[in-house]
Amino acid sequence: MKAWWVQVDVALRLHFRNRMALFYGYLFPLIFLVAFWVLYRHESVPLLRHIGELLTVSVLGGACFGLPTTLVGERERGVWRRYRLSPLPLWAMLAAAVAARGVLLFSAGALQWGVAVLAGMTAPEHPWALMIAFLAVCFAFIGLGLLIAQLANNVPAVQALGQCVFLPMLIIGGVAVKLASLPEWAQHVSAFFPGRYAVEAIQGAVTGEGFAEIGFPLAALGGMGVAAGLAAAGLFPCDTPQKVEWRRRTLWLVPVLAGWLAVGAWAERAGRALVPPIGVVIEPAAAAPAAPVLPEPPWARITAADIAGLNYQVPPDRGVVAPFAGDQEEPDEYTAQELETVRRALYSWRPAFEGDDIQRVRNLLYVAAVPDSVQLPVERHLPPLVLRYLTDMYPEDKLVRILTYIALHPEEGGVIVNLGDLGLEAAVGDPWTVRERAYFYAIKFVARLTGRPAG
Amino acid sequence: MSAAVTVRDLRKAYREVEAVAGVSFAVERGEVFGLLGPNGAGKTTTLECLLGLRTPDAGVLELGGVDLRRHPSAARRKIGAVLQSTLLPERITVREAVRLFAALYPDPVPPAELMERFGLAAVAGTRFEGLSGGERQRLALALAFAGRPEVLVLDEPTAGLDPVVRAGLHEEIRRARADGCAVVLSTHYLEEAEALCDRLAILVRGRILAEGAPRALLTAVEERHRLDLEASGPVPEAWSHEIAALERGRCTGNRLLAYTRRPAEAVAELARRLRAAELEVVALSVRQVSLEEAFLRLTDAGAAAGEDAP
Repeated sequence: MKAWWVQVDVALRLHFRNRMALFYGYLFPLIFLVAFWVLYRHESVPLLRHIGELLTVSVLGGACFGLPTTLVGERERGVWRRYRLSPLPLWAMLAAAVAARGVLLFSAGALQWGVAVLAGMTAPEHPWALMIAFLAVCFAFIGLGLLIAQLANNVPAVQALGQCVFLPMLIIGGVAVKLASLPEWAQHVSAFFPGRYAVEAIQGAVTGEGFAEIGFPLAALGGMGVAAGLAAAGLFPCDTPQKVEWRRRTLWLVPVLAGWLAVGAWAERAGRALVPPIGVVIEPAAAAPAAPVLPEPPWARITAADIAGLNYQVPPDRGVVAPFAGDQEEPDEYTAQELETVRRALYSWRPAFEGDDIQRVRNLLYVAAVPDSVQLPVERHLPPLVLRYLTDMYPEDKLVRILTYIALHPEEGGVIVNLGDLGLEAAVGDPWTVRERAYFYAIKFVARLTGRPAG
Repeated sequence: MSAAVTVRDLRKAYREVEAVAGVSFAVERGEVFGLLGPNGAGKTTTLECLLGLRTPDAGVLELGGVDLRRHPSAARRKIGAVLQSTLLPERITVREAVRLFAALYPDPVPPAELMERFGLAAVAGTRFEGLSGGERQRLALALAFAGRPEVLVLDEPTAGLDPVVRAGLHEEIRRARADGCAVVLSTHYLEEAEALCDRLAILVRGRILAEGAPRALLTAVEERHRLDLEASGPVPEAWSHEIAALERGRCTGNRLLAYTRRPAEAVAELARRLRAAELEVVALSVRQVSLEEAFLRLTDAGAAAGEDAP
């Protein structure tokens, strides 16, 4: 056991002497964090809704690049051949390397979390669930990293194989791009990648229902980790892979692919592959129950102080988040046609005739919010159209109160994530982002109606 | 009591190429056993099988009576090894490497003692990437001794080292032998094998061609003396085959080169003919063939080289 601890100790010391390893292990994830903060700094709780993606990127990089690069680099130098001459079994040596990597991943995750807290992020809803989720993510990706280490002949091959795993997971695997923004085929594909379940597990623990919500992702990560670990173990006795026949190597990929296919098939069968389908109104979460029925509507209790107390520090009109076209900005011909289509469709759009005034206004805010969340070219011209529609529909005082109520209760009510009914085919956002953008537009509308500066 | 190392009918093939084809030998405690052979003879494969780095196709490998294939961990506790090219992580220090490898064995030599013994104390804090070739090899040897090995396996341990460092390593190998360690050594340096080894095996194409003490191996070569004559005038070509005591003789200008099993008879006959031909002896040498010549004679390389030789 002492030998094992010495191995872990030396592995950690060597890691901290390697500047490139420190860069990729610690600085690179922080760069991602800063990029996400720049993009989403206006959210009510900065980074909280993206920490799943951020931590997943950290683990993915450390486990699928860092671990195999170290192992293969040492193997190329003959270090593992030398280790094999000792009485300590090779699996114990490998376990020490994996344990050291686990320590590094946890420290990188803790650093990332700490910086996010400094940027204003709050504590997770379910800390124990988060720990287990993070452990499961490490397990799954370390299994994958070991497999890469066994398949790669040299360090450049590690980079190539790592990219084959890393990039698809980032782009169509739900890690860096929200699944709701992806086409259906990509959502189906993502069900077969562990990255999606990593984000779901961590995010479910941080902002969701904890263990009640992350059972499936945890099981998926466990299954995928076991499959990759088994394959890596099968290849492991060959510490000189260039002499391993290719057929033998590819055969050991079968359990991995079988594991991934099984998880994907399971997700498909359980109806989990797609995010909420087109046009569905998502009911509010149990944690945010619908407002109780009162003798007078909730918006009627909004006071001037409530209106004045709104946080008008919202993203600027000319920015990427919640843009708002100025009076002098003319849309191009195509955009103008699109706007006209939406304007006409609104008169027969059912959500615009919702019985409850608050939900009706909320639904109309989504007409501006959804295109903004997926950055359609028409996004900056829709808010003025919606505001005109609303001012035609309601007296100004009532509208200001309703909008203020919505801004003060952004989690309430249903959310519309797809505007296909309005002729905006590509406008499918994710619920969180859409709610956030609706919140920004509610404040911007109030600011315009009351003559306050915003942004 | 079983031998420290027993290799019996070891076989290993890579696809169609039979790298080791039925090699057998045994090494006793306190004995240095050398493996000699040209490149591709199967020396490294034999040692790697002995170390458990390669799985043999057939054969018995025992270390102190422990079957290496059935009980690899127990067998490896008895072994210390220096591979042909041992590299460690670039950033590991000498102290860390010694501590790490010492921790792998149940009853290790204390790291400080190891570093002192192998002259590494002064570079204890130096990273592996900063060590000279000699220091690296001393470190490799220190790591091999970390677990108080009963068997030391050295695969060309002095290749590329300067004579001073090589002499130091020779001293350590003799010391290991004196401590009762069985040493299995492969080398390209014949003088090294001659100086260090109690017994030698000459390996050619995966088979042991000859085995024995270095001196005894020389007797295995029938033509044990090499004769080199330089006369004052051209030596008649016919002498090389007319003189019965000479074998594989060749005349080139004023010189005659040949091997012989009866040197006195050969020299007497040559002297008689030189007088008759009124030729003077400019230089004459008759000496026992060296181990290198014996080695070359026994191997295919020797056969090829022999075509150029007399």
